[in-house]
Amino acid sequence: MRRVDIVRRAGRSLRQAKARTLLTSLAIAVGAFTLTLAIAAGEGSRQYADKIINSNIDPQMLMIAKDKTLFGEGGGMTGGLREYSENATEYGGLKLEALSSKDLKRIKANKNIEKVTPTYLVNAQYVSFQQKKGKKYTSDVTVYDTSVRPEVVAGSLPGKSQQIADDEVIVPEAFLETLGVKEYGKFIGSRVTLRLAKPPKELSEKEVQRIMMTDGLEGLEKATKPKTRDVKLNVRAVSKQSVTSLSASSALFISENTAQELSDYLTKGTDQYQSYISVMALVKKGIDPATVKDELTKQNIYAMTAEDLQGLLFTIVNLIQGIVMGFGVLALIASIFGIINTQYISVLERTQQIGLMKALGMRGKDVAKLFRYEAAWIGFLGGVIGSAVAWILGTSLNPWITETIGLGTGNYLLVFQILPVVGLIVGLMIVGIVAGYFPARKAAKLDPIEALRTE
Amino acid sequence: MIEVENLRKQYGKKQNTFIALKSVTFSVPEGETVAIVGKSGSGKSTLMHTMSGLDAPSSGTVTIDGENIIKLTGKELDHFRAKKIGFIFQSFFVQANETVEDNIGLPLEIADVPKKMRKSKIAAALKAVDLSDKIHAKARDLSGGQKQRLAIARAIVNEPRVLFADEPTGNLDSVTGDKIEKLLFDYSKEFGATLVVVTHDEELASKCAMQISLKDGEVVAIRTSKKKEARRA
Repeated sequence: MRRVDIVRRAGRSLRQAKARTLLTSLAIAVGAFTLTLAIAAGEGSRQYADKIINSNIDPQMLMIAKDKTLFGEGGGMTGGLREYSENATEYGGLKLEALSSKDLKRIKANKNIEKVTPTYLVNAQYVSFQQKKGKKYTSDVTVYDTSVRPEVVAGSLPGKSQQIADDEVIVPEAFLETLGVKEYGKFIGSRVTLRLAKPPKELSEKEVQRIMMTDGLEGLEKATKPKTRDVKLNVRAVSKQSVTSLSASSALFISENTAQELSDYLTKGTDQYQSYISVMALVKKGIDPATVKDELTKQNIYAMTAEDLQGLLFTIVNLIQGIVMGFGVLALIASIFGIINTQYISVLERTQQIGLMKALGMRGKDVAKLFRYEAAWIGFLGGVIGSAVAWILGTSLNPWITETIGLGTGNYLLVFQILPVVGLIVGLMIVGIVAGYFPARKAAKLDPIEALRTE
Repeated sequence: MIEVENLRKQYGKKQNTFIALKSVTFSVPEGETVAIVGKSGSGKSTLMHTMSGLDAPSSGTVTIDGENIIKLTGKELDHFRAKKIGFIFQSFFVQANETVEDNIGLPLEIADVPKKMRKSKIAAALKAVDLSDKIHAKARDLSGGQKQRLAIARAIVNEPRVLFADEPTGNLDSVTGDKIEKLLFDYSKEFGATLVVVTHDEELASKCAMQISLKDGEVVAIRTSKKKEARRA
């Protein structure tokens, strides 16, 4: 018997039992619905993550560190037992080995690296604003990254790859909301003061005795009192709130020179002076950052490319997607039993028909095919219904989802693509065929004489 | 030509054996009409099943068109049935949900008849049983007689060499039954096909050229009626 005839007969049998066919395929549709949404959400998240990375990090950028644990390798950020190093720096309550000036020299010596910018740690004790006198705030302070220009709502930015002046600061729009500043224009040029507090030097017993001898108790008090310094900066611009640009909406931007100077001031006299947990390096255009990473690894300096960071984000996305898909697969497994049950009943109901077909010379394997194809049709129908509903519902809910979780205009959580959906439907047809295997075998083995002996 | 030799069929094993056919031997000339008669349990249905290749005998041979069908493999036997044999059953076994056309198309599909040729064959078979106007009707909407005519159309659409009819008129009134009988005999005559009818009905049996009487699985009498000779002349 020709395959096309069998497929046609299978379709016809299903049409004759419309309600049953529909109900069985609806069970599959539930699984298909979940899987379609999971795939769409995964794709959407990946695209979103991609967007975030691209608007925050130059693809040629390398994040370089001495300590692998910074990148979540070798035990991760949770600590554990690590070798002691004199060159370690405290970061986030964790001792991390910092890059020494020797390491910095090595990095700078790399021919493929265009520019090296240490990540200066500028921990301001507090920040105060001219327009909000008497109030003290805390904020992160970072270097203005010239490779990723944020959008501004007030003021202006220097040209591309141009650093802002050393006495200038860029303030995120979100801060103005906190401050209650309505007129952005007036805010430009106003004063922002960073209060830096330098921890006192830890004194040895000998030093304490020496100070006591020369300056007395007053001198000792002075020596153990933290030094403070106020840095006055003028607001150059207000950066626009962006969902995809992370740092632009959460930290004050200062120039590289200022950051270096302040960092040096804060660490001078300590073992952290001019040693950095991480530096950012810009790889020359046309050179794959990954090759530079490998070169550095040979020198025991570890680097992370933009792609690595993307991979890290994707791992999380994949994990979440995997969990949702797991539920979809569970729904599918349940529906497999639905198909098996339906097809068994169908075989029983159509005993006579099967007997007749076999009496007329239809091969057992063709009878089996007929039932398997019916199951495949059910899978196809379920897949189409489930994914179509998911597609329509997802597309119409997308704007609402974007607004609710604040993805920012133009970004959608659910990104539907035709190819994965087609793949899913084909997969469900295969699932149908697998589920139809046992009922089909029962039909194939039916004895025509037995089947035709009725009444 | 159908030759049946020492056909034996037994069911069950050891103490529970039941012998349905005990060494049945006879032969039917090409194009002949045969009635297999006997009471219930005489083994006439079993004989028909083993003769037609639906069931395997315990021993013996059945030769149709010079081919010993007992020796055929399952696949060859299925193919043989599809090409050479037509079946008509007491309870029609038409597919109620399908159209008349789809019902008749089934044996053509099974026998791998190319799609182009199906339409004309279906039309011819429907014409033979006078159901041409019902081609697109659902089988469930047909009367009993029409259903059996549909079953005949399905049986003859592939122009089989042998037609097996199991109580073809058993579920029909006498007027309708007569029409059905006529259709079967006409087909046999027109195509020179052998017709084997299994029946209780003495009247139907007497219309056949040959009557084989079975009792307890044995042939008790083979009669060749003169009527047949007369008709031939």
